[in-house]
Amino acid sequence: MIEVDAIEKTFRGGRGLHGFSFRLESNELVGLVGPNGAGKTTLIKILATLITATSGTARIDGHDVAASSTAVRAIVGYLPDVAGIYQDMRVREFLEFFADAFRLKEPRRSQAIQRAVEVSGLQDRTDEYVENLSLGWKQRLLLAKTLLHEPKVLLLDEPATGLDPLARIGLREQLKHLHAEGVAILISSHILSDLEDMCTRILFIADGKNVAEPAPTPLTGTAPSRIQCEIGFHGSPKLLNQALAGFPGSRVLEIKDGFLVVELAGGAAEASSLLRAIVNSGMVVEHFDARGPGLEERYRRAFGERLS
Amino acid sequence: MRRFITNPMINKELRQRLRERRAWLLPTLYLLILSGTALFAYYLTTDAEMQGGRREVQGADIGLAIFLTVVFTQIVALLLMAPVFSAGSITIEKEQRTLAGLLTSLLSVPQIWWGKFATALLYLLLLLSSALPMLALSFAFGGVEPTQLIRATASTILVLASISAVGLWCSATFRRSIHSTAACYGIVLVLSVVTAVVFGILMSHWSSNHILGMRRAEEPPAYVQAPLFLNPLYPLLSIMDDPDFREFIYPTSSWMLFAAMACLAAAFAMRRLTRGSDQI
Repeated sequence: MIEVDAIEKTFRGGRGLHGFSFRLESNELVGLVGPNGAGKTTLIKILATLITATSGTARIDGHDVAASSTAVRAIVGYLPDVAGIYQDMRVREFLEFFADAFRLKEPRRSQAIQRAVEVSGLQDRTDEYVENLSLGWKQRLLLAKTLLHEPKVLLLDEPATGLDPLARIGLREQLKHLHAEGVAILISSHILSDLEDMCTRILFIADGKNVAEPAPTPLTGTAPSRIQCEIGFHGSPKLLNQALAGFPGSRVLEIKDGFLVVELAGGAAEASSLLRAIVNSGMVVEHFDARGPGLEERYRRAFGERLS
Repeated sequence: MRRFITNPMINKELRQRLRERRAWLLPTLYLLILSGTALFAYYLTTDAEMQGGRREVQGADIGLAIFLTVVFTQIVALLLMAPVFSAGSITIEKEQRTLAGLLTSLLSVPQIWWGKFATALLYLLLLLSSALPMLALSFAFGGVEPTQLIRATASTILVLASISAVGLWCSATFRRSIHSTAACYGIVLVLSVVTAVVFGILMSHWSSNHILGMRRAEEPPAYVQAPLFLNPLYPLLSIMDDPDFREFIYPTSSWMLFAAMACLAAAFAMRRLTRGSDQI
């Protein structure tokens, strides 16, 4: 659905894209992560036809984004990082304007507006001025506007910025639903837990280039693999500490009544050993969940050197 | 063509503009100013002391005085308002961060420009038409031909359209409304004052040469007036009643220059919008 090949965009300050490439299939929800200034927004702007690349090619559904920008806009929904909204329009007027801007004809126009109103949950607020909506509702309205013309591809640049946790959950669910409906989604975000929850794949970008995720190399010790265990237990924490003492490099991330999150050096074998040690110590284990390296860990691995 | 007439931008812009407080405040102020100047012209013409008792004041004199006063006052007032409506109309989209939404929709850049231009001009036309009854007042006194009214209105519309196009160009070029409005006022000032000053210098130079040469006084050639062709008030001089004065004026050249300026400003604004989306 999206094919980007060795794309370059140079700006005066030196930032931009320097040969970034990737492919995104129609059934994918891909997260784009990288430090500030990595080129995420530039890439999304190029795909949204807002700026043109200095060199390289970018195609969406077979259309070159520079040469066939109108064809691309017809199938792409773009939500910028700080999306503006017309505060002095009513909700319905706002949606009607964008339905007309996307050349939707009746009866498709009315249906699209009705669907947008329902999807965003603004049925009872269509006559309200946009300025009276909270940030979360405005973001819902913006996403509804982005979906008016039923795009095949969604380009979302930091869509959860400034949203409260409930609004973020709502957005996540909506994106999962769109993905299930077959919309290809490229989403840039710094909220790794959100991306981890919904993305089928993560792309790493830094300095405008692809960043290959370094494989865990526990034997060399340069980037030790780690595993995170969540344990629900009954018993004295003292016994638990004794059990953990046998695992050098372990790190307690969270501990409260009957619940412990601990990070261990190693993998599944070490997690099994820990479970065995806890059971042998005489404690009752109610719940045990071991997870491989999370996105946060993968991010640290990919950009750790840059961060330090 | 149909896309330009049924342009959703026009609908949106008009709706937003007419919701602002200035939508009713400005016409009120504008009509108050025009009424004041029309009254002033009336009393000035009919005041026997001011006329020095030279001759009896005729209705035609009053009619013409009111007409000319209102026409020149309204173009000055509208020239002061035109940058407010045009120079901020694209920068406000940049400031509110809504321009990206427009540029990634299926609206073309010419459609966006046309929507902004038509709305800015339509509001000025609303003000212009609201003053028509006051201009019609001069017909009640006589002394004004309908062709003068048509010429005056057409010239004013052309000048306003041109200034609106320049305002949109400033708006497409700058990031902030305050900068683009200041730049547009700067251009209006150059067109209104600097052209007159340059004309004054050329005219005095030309006159002194002719006096020194002791030649017969004659009309200044076109090149002396050339700087005035871009003066917004210049095309209106052709409506003056004096036939000798009318011959002295080249309104067609001025109209063509204003039309060319509008076309150039439109082309530059659209180019800026197409290439300058990195301002978003």
